[in-house]
Amino acid sequence: MSAADQPVNQNSAPVRIERVFQRFTLGQRWEHLILIVSFTILFLTGIPQKYRFTEWSQWLLSTPQRVYWVRQIHHTAALLLTAGVLYHLGNALVLMARRRLSSDMFPTFQDVRDAWQMLRYLLFLTREKPAFGKYNFEQKFTYWFLFFGLGIMVVSGFILWFPEVVTRFLPGGVVPAAFLAHSNEAVIAAIFIVVWHFFHVHFQRLNLSMFTGKLSEEEMRLYHANEFERLTGEKADLDETKGGSQ
Amino acid sequence: MRKIKLPALAAGLIASALALSWALLVLIVSVRPAQADGLAQETEKYCLSCHGNPDLKMTLPSGEQVSLYISAEDLQHSVHSPAGIECEACHTEIKTYPHPPITYTTRREMARTYYLACQKCHSSNYAKTQDSMHAQAAAAGNLDAPVCTDCHGAHNVRPPDEPRALISTTCGKCHTQINQDYVQSVHGGDLLTQDNPDVPVCTDCHGVHNIQDPRTAQFRVETPDLCARCHADAERMSKYGLSADVYGLYNLSWHGVDVAVYKAKWPTIWHESAVCTDCHGIHNIRRTSDPASKVNPANLLSTCQECHPGVGANWTAAWIGHNRIDPQRTPFLYYTEVFYRSLTPIVLWASILYVALQILHAAVERVRRSLP
Repeated sequence: MSAADQPVNQNSAPVRIERVFQRFTLGQRWEHLILIVSFTILFLTGIPQKYRFTEWSQWLLSTPQRVYWVRQIHHTAALLLTAGVLYHLGNALVLMARRRLSSDMFPTFQDVRDAWQMLRYLLFLTREKPAFGKYNFEQKFTYWFLFFGLGIMVVSGFILWFPEVVTRFLPGGVVPAAFLAHSNEAVIAAIFIVVWHFFHVHFQRLNLSMFTGKLSEEEMRLYHANEFERLTGEKADLDETKGGSQ
Repeated sequence: MRKIKLPALAAGLIASALALSWALLVLIVSVRPAQADGLAQETEKYCLSCHGNPDLKMTLPSGEQVSLYISAEDLQHSVHSPAGIECEACHTEIKTYPHPPITYTTRREMARTYYLACQKCHSSNYAKTQDSMHAQAAAAGNLDAPVCTDCHGAHNVRPPDEPRALISTTCGKCHTQINQDYVQSVHGGDLLTQDNPDVPVCTDCHGVHNIQDPRTAQFRVETPDLCARCHADAERMSKYGLSADVYGLYNLSWHGVDVAVYKAKWPTIWHESAVCTDCHGIHNIRRTSDPASKVNPANLLSTCQECHPGVGANWTAAWIGHNRIDPQRTPFLYYTEVFYRSLTPIVLWASILYVALQILHAAVERVRRSLP
């Protein structure tokens, strides 16, 4: 609660200097970029395979060679995504072993309370917005939705890629199940990203912290008040006009 | 003399018209039964006065001996002779005795010369045969490739499908191995033992006169549609306790989707994705419960291994069969579907609703702020 371990300007001058707060490490930003690139390629090469009877798919997959190449690209991007996923999990395991894995992303009961208050706020039942920590419940939901979604995509994808090998260890029934899951989950993940994630980081407010790695002091005060207070020991509310953000 | 009375002229005209009509009527009435009796045959008896001798034969330039005996009984039971079609309708060059000298050197050449007469009456079927696999084989030099008379007979032409089993016997004269497979199959067995009209004979799948090469990429990708002509017919399948969903469910499978795409887009490009006959067999299709069936549970794995070499015992369960999703048969698939039908849409819709609420709230706030 007391010490601010972030670079905070102590020599308060008459000019108020806007402080910036590190939000994502360089590694995390790379992971996100790899995720964007691989997911986009996988989506663009996967959807024509899912909807093979539509005209646009047949226009794209106009020859057997194109089907072959689209699959090659899909598999290559799948390897990239898998590498990203393995790095992410491996990194988490290493941090966990060193007891240094941050608990910021794990859901808590506070998230349920926050979501409930947020819902009341959106329905005009209260004027108080909940104050959030480093990651609010929306951001945690994004992470965990895609965590499991990508998990399903990677596992089912490899079952479909190597069904003959997989059925040596697993029952044959997992193959058609993987086919169904891969096909459905892809569309669900894409809808979720566009509706939920794009809305929150592009339309509601432009939040580029995943690329810059940083949040401004104002953003911290407004959207991550608890985290700001924890880091600086100051009150997040600057004054009456700014605080409520109504 | 010169003055002919008008009424007399009229009477004469009427009388002659009546007489003509009477004559026509008599002609029509008398001629019709004559045809049905086969009395129109003028030359047959005359020809048979020599060709009715069972020992009549000749030696061709090739050295082959050809019997020239024609059975009167064959002719009587054929479709042609009773209809008044004369010998010379086909043997067009023979009009007199002694006959003109023969122009062919071998027996086969003789057959290939005379069968050309069929097109005089059966021009459309003849034209179809010219488009057939058999005509291609002949053009490539195989003179044994069948002509009309090889299947239909020459002097003893009868309805080719009475009984229907006659068709497979006819084709089996050359395609012996295939016919042996066929008579032991579920289709051929029912044909021979019950003359079952529901089972296919050769011509139902291969066509009749314009039979095409069944080994082409196009024939291959069209195979599921071919089988579906009967096997997607619920009424016909229900008689045998068979599912009529097999075609529809196949079309949803990995194999089926692949084949359907090739059929629609690249029918001439060979593609290996399994069609019905790859698993069930072609002419030797048997009941699934038959231990000799390629898709009998005991044989299924080795059938899969024809295309998927080295797959393990679990592999067969990856094929959901021609079955609907079911918690007992395909639990993994069933619960995956339940998951994507229930939980996931709820979560997705909740997310969408939440975002919609956020947009709504922001819009209301904006309006509120703009008010005084």
